[in-house]
Amino acid sequence: MTEYYGSKLEDIFNSMEDRFRPEGAEGVDAIFCYDIAGEDGGKWQVSVKDKELRVEKVEGNLKGCSVTIITDPETFIGVTLGKIDAGEAFSSGKIKVDGDIGLLTNILPKLFTKYTPPAKDVTSKDIIDTVVERFRADKAEGIDIVIGYDITGEGGGKWSVIVKDGYCSVKEGLDPNCTVTMQMDAKVFVGLNLGLIDGTAAFTSGKVKIEGDMGAAALSAGMFERFKVGVIEGAEELISLKCLPSIDQRFATGPVMGKWFDGLKEKKFYATKCPVCGRTQIPPREICALCRVRCTDFVELGPKGTVTLIDDVYYASPDPLTGEVRETPYAGVYIVLDGASEEEAFAHEIKKEDIDRIKPGMRVRPVWAEKRVGSYKDLLYFEIDE
Amino acid sequence: MANKKKNRNVAIIGIGQTEYSSHKEHQNQAEMVNEAVRRALDDARITMDDVDCVMHGNMELFEMVYQPDLWHEIGTGAYGKEEIRITTGGTTGASLVCAADNLVASGMYDVILAVGLEKLQEGHTTGGITNMADPLWFRHLQTGALTGTTAQEMIEEFGEDRAKRAAMKYRIMMDKHACLNPRAHRRFGLEYDQMDDLMNTSPKLVGELRLIHMCSQSDGACVMVFASEEKAKKLCKHHPPVWIRDHITVHREETLPNLFGFKKPEMTQRYAARKLFERNGIKDPVEYFDVFEMYDPSAWWGLDWLREFLLLKGDEHIKMLEEGEFDLDGKLPVNPSGGVTATNPIGATAMLRPAEAALQIRGDAGEHQLERNVRHALASGFGGTFWTVLIMLEKDLNW
Repeated sequence: MTEYYGSKLEDIFNSMEDRFRPEGAEGVDAIFCYDIAGEDGGKWQVSVKDKELRVEKVEGNLKGCSVTIITDPETFIGVTLGKIDAGEAFSSGKIKVDGDIGLLTNILPKLFTKYTPPAKDVTSKDIIDTVVERFRADKAEGIDIVIGYDITGEGGGKWSVIVKDGYCSVKEGLDPNCTVTMQMDAKVFVGLNLGLIDGTAAFTSGKVKIEGDMGAAALSAGMFERFKVGVIEGAEELISLKCLPSIDQRFATGPVMGKWFDGLKEKKFYATKCPVCGRTQIPPREICALCRVRCTDFVELGPKGTVTLIDDVYYASPDPLTGEVRETPYAGVYIVLDGASEEEAFAHEIKKEDIDRIKPGMRVRPVWAEKRVGSYKDLLYFEIDE
Repeated sequence: MANKKKNRNVAIIGIGQTEYSSHKEHQNQAEMVNEAVRRALDDARITMDDVDCVMHGNMELFEMVYQPDLWHEIGTGAYGKEEIRITTGGTTGASLVCAADNLVASGMYDVILAVGLEKLQEGHTTGGITNMADPLWFRHLQTGALTGTTAQEMIEEFGEDRAKRAAMKYRIMMDKHACLNPRAHRRFGLEYDQMDDLMNTSPKLVGELRLIHMCSQSDGACVMVFASEEKAKKLCKHHPPVWIRDHITVHREETLPNLFGFKKPEMTQRYAARKLFERNGIKDPVEYFDVFEMYDPSAWWGLDWLREFLLLKGDEHIKMLEEGEFDLDGKLPVNPSGGVTATNPIGATAMLRPAEAALQIRGDAGEHQLERNVRHALASGFGGTFWTVLIMLEKDLNW
């Protein structure tokens, strides 16, 4: 399998069991399917039910999927690691989703802890790059040496570490004034620094060749802190703070909107009528913004009307406070109620069962809540009037 | 001076932008602002000592950081100076330019530094937009800024295939422009031969408004420095000043449904263009302007509004698009920067339009610089329930 961003597809799927959070799977009963195209791709099925996880590699067709993610290995690994913006990949069609997209945006992130790639191979350069930050000035008092490293083989290079007056610096290439020069293969250099190879044994067996002041070579060991893999990985930790504000609000309706809400209780739509242009406004408003006059006359509109436009909504934004997402698709409709001025539409929803049939020009009627209290909840939706 | 009420001429003398992206975890809001401020001051070759007044604009409810002008003080450099905050929805950035124009023209200030910014990833844009709707009635029905009504109307008017193709061509054209702009947020590398695929496979949001048609949510800041004619001539040694000829803002009611009755009212875009061109003696805007930086929140809206802004009739705007007249080498290039579908840091978005238009006039836009001599530029802002700001910029002070 090809590696992207230091990970393979298998790494991600095989680590799912370890990363699974049963506490995030409360009440989840879903099958997430992954159809990852290409020679180095594959198909996986991740089932979650009763707070238990099952990850399977699938040959042949994916079945029973609640949601299917269709993409390629590079995009999938990049998105998993945060190297590729998920939204961008989705927008540009590099990721396609079939099925309940809400499972991906709302449920999936709760099911697993973040994937981290396997430790990357340490190179000689990684070690040299951290020399200055691992330098311990307190152990280098009065020391004035130049240590040359001649690292051969794949991933090798030549560097000089200069220690003088309690400061340490590194430059590329071998300094002509090296106090001591150590020559070894890159694998040996990395192994020594990671503590996987014994220094004395390496020297004795000839894997490390030392030229110049042997004492300086011994001295150098004590002047630096041990190299840690973590030093190169978490170079800079970026912290972000999370907060969730929730504000309880009260809004005064005023007498005009008060009349509107009162009307809803009686299954009536009250509009104001402009004394100058005759425009009806629904919901009613005290002022006609066009004529800049007060409207004191109310007229009753509808309750039936004619649809002008329909907005079929396939993507509902999650409620920012609760994370709840409305069921999709739902449809918003613009309706000119009987008796309304022709430019003044009223907006509401159409009954779920009517979504597929509703067309501009159709007649609709309101459906009311059984118990009406003077709230937006009194009007449930409109339905086709037939 | 065409707008006879203007007391003195006003120039844009400095522009600074951050790069735009959805990943600005490396800096906080004030730091992001400061990056753009430093770039604008460098561009104008001035220091904060030269600035009389700072203007700050964003949509604070998107980040839910209130009094952001105070929070961002260390970034804007406004400490101890006069500062004015502006928040007018999508038009915020353009409103900043209008207000700066007014204030410098009035003689109140000689040099103004205006900051437009947004860090959308730190808040909840749709939550913010929903909370702008009338809390008494419309809020529970609001779907953020998404609507498919324009797509539906255009399909009705021009036929399904032609309308869908035109909207997708517009989108791909904008992506091609954005790919030339290293600061642009979304740069997909779309090709025209993907049109059929995208028309059918891009996820539907609302009606025929698909994900690919819609603008991004970006983080970033844009800063502009404005100066009176006298100051501009003294300060601008390294690049020419760009003159603000005139601007207009057109507001409307807070309700949307009254746009979708049996009779459609005149759109604010057309009203603004009609009034602005009339008082400046512009008979044929397509002929007159060399570039148009338009606030286009979606491909459908962008294409539809070209008809309004350019006072076109019937399918003239679609024909122009089909014939490549809005391309970089077309009759009237639209959004060489890539526009709003590519980059949308809301409080900065409407400022980016005149800022990018001014860079085109200066010849400093970079890779997306037009080859022609750009002398006359048009820039628009859009906000809320379809209100409009329209700004005219000029290379020469000769109108």
